[in-house]
Amino acid sequence: MKRLTLLMHSVWIAENDLRQSFKSVRHVVWSLLFPIFMMLTFSFRYGATGLDVEFIKTFLIPGIVGMTAMFGSINETMSIVWDKSLGVFDRILAAPVSSTSIIVGKTMSGAVMGVISALVLLIIGTTLFGVSFANISAVLLIVLLASFSFTGIGTIISGLASEPREAMMLSNLLRFPMMFLGGVFFSVEAMPMPLPYVARAMPLTYATEALRAIQIGNTAIVFVDAIVLLVYTVGTILLGSQILMKIMTR
Amino acid sequence: MENAIEIKELTKYYGSLLAVDHVNFEVKDKEIFGLLGPNGAGKTTTIRMICGMLRPASGTAVVAGFDVAQKPQEVKRRIGLVPDISNLFGELSARVNLEFMGKLYGLDKKTRRERIDQVLELFQLKDRQNDLVKYYSKGMHRRLTIAAALIHQPEILVMDEPTSGLDAQTARLVREIIVDLNKEGRTVLLTTHQIEEADRLAQRVGIIDRGRLIALDTPEQIKKSTEGIRALEIEILNGTDQQRWIPIISKAEGVDNVFLAEGKIRILSKDLAQTIPTVINLVDKQGGKIENISVAQPTLEDAFISLTGKSIREEPASKEAYLKARLTRGGLR
Repeated sequence: MKRLTLLMHSVWIAENDLRQSFKSVRHVVWSLLFPIFMMLTFSFRYGATGLDVEFIKTFLIPGIVGMTAMFGSINETMSIVWDKSLGVFDRILAAPVSSTSIIVGKTMSGAVMGVISALVLLIIGTTLFGVSFANISAVLLIVLLASFSFTGIGTIISGLASEPREAMMLSNLLRFPMMFLGGVFFSVEAMPMPLPYVARAMPLTYATEALRAIQIGNTAIVFVDAIVLLVYTVGTILLGSQILMKIMTR
Repeated sequence: MENAIEIKELTKYYGSLLAVDHVNFEVKDKEIFGLLGPNGAGKTTTIRMICGMLRPASGTAVVAGFDVAQKPQEVKRRIGLVPDISNLFGELSARVNLEFMGKLYGLDKKTRRERIDQVLELFQLKDRQNDLVKYYSKGMHRRLTIAAALIHQPEILVMDEPTSGLDAQTARLVREIIVDLNKEGRTVLLTTHQIEEADRLAQRVGIIDRGRLIALDTPEQIKKSTEGIRALEIEILNGTDQQRWIPIISKAEGVDNVFLAEGKIRILSKDLAQTIPTVINLVDKQGGKIENISVAQPTLEDAFISLTGKSIREEPASKEAYLKARLTRGGLR
């Protein structure tokens, strides 16, 4: 019964966060416009350099889907720092809700937002370029794991930042290098040294690699990348939880 | 239960800054208790510890018979907290905000619906219940914040600066609500930096300054405790800037404190017989003409000034006081 209450509190906190995010239509549109814009721009760019649609389907779209999960999740976790600065976090802290429920709830909303955003881009990619994935459950699993690990990163940033502007700057400091080095637009293997090593430290690299591997049916790579993403998920969420827990139990 | 809240030796540091210094007081069941002090005095920090949102460095807080450190969830279930800022979800409607709070306090669907209707009706927000809270006026925000604190029908209401920043009409309405809630049988602990508010609402008052509780009694007794102190009110003709007389009069012999209150110069002194002619002479010498002079009843503000040596209207000026105010009022850092 107690566990059920804990879980229900988390679900309600996540539901409340997502409700706020989706309530603002502009928020949703803007957050999706960026990856759509990047997808279209790079499609034209690759098309102009002679790369065919097959390359866009098998390389660019999986990368964009992974990147969108990253933006969706990290953006959603920024709600923590807004909640802190607007005092709404206090509202939850004053209620009989455990710190664990708050952390789980915030993590859930971040991951759900990451998955939803990624799926929207996947649908757009499928509609425009005819992308097809042999194993949609594997895609969902990778997107989910990636979203959780990005949520963990977002939680760490939100916990460390004292105000929203600082959080946005910190998140950009991580998101943009990840976007360009995480194998979304350029192959990690083609990068000059020591950039491949930097790329291998980023969860987005494993998400994009796994999504591409699913398309060509390379289960071994998908399996290894899924394990790495799981390790990232556990590590970042544990660290993020520690930081949030410290704030909540000052 | 005689006491709704009992705090003993409650202490809190922010780094090396002592924000709350071994504070002791109790709030009796069904009373309105006012914690009075200037900004940065430690009021918000004290109530955050009482509500289980901050961990004290030492000391205990017992609420409704439960030790906050041992049973924070039991305490939170019994307290309705009205923070000094409206901390509702602006992107959601009033109804959805209340729905969310009801869920967190474990109310079932039917009870939630009934209570939400009840508080929306009570605070005259029913017509705007589906509007996004971000479009609400300040007064509506305040009413909804109180409504949200009442959704689980708490036995104790903790209100941080409940009328701060409100226009006179809304502030009066909020005060009426506080009195009504108390009449319904709820214990109210409120913090305020407004002397009049504490005097008007609270049955007992604790005066807190620099983290220390320096007086604790009924407003009448606190006023009496400054026996020996007399208050004199003067108005100086053509003195549109009455403020400029404050430093001049403060230097006069026998004057303990001097400050502006409701546009008049208020002088505190232990010996009015000596002070009155001295002040008249001084004003005369400085080219001013006293239009009106009267001996006044001591107020809670007089008591506060004679206890702390400063006016409660002063804003924190030092870096430390600023930091403390920011830490206690700015939510989580």
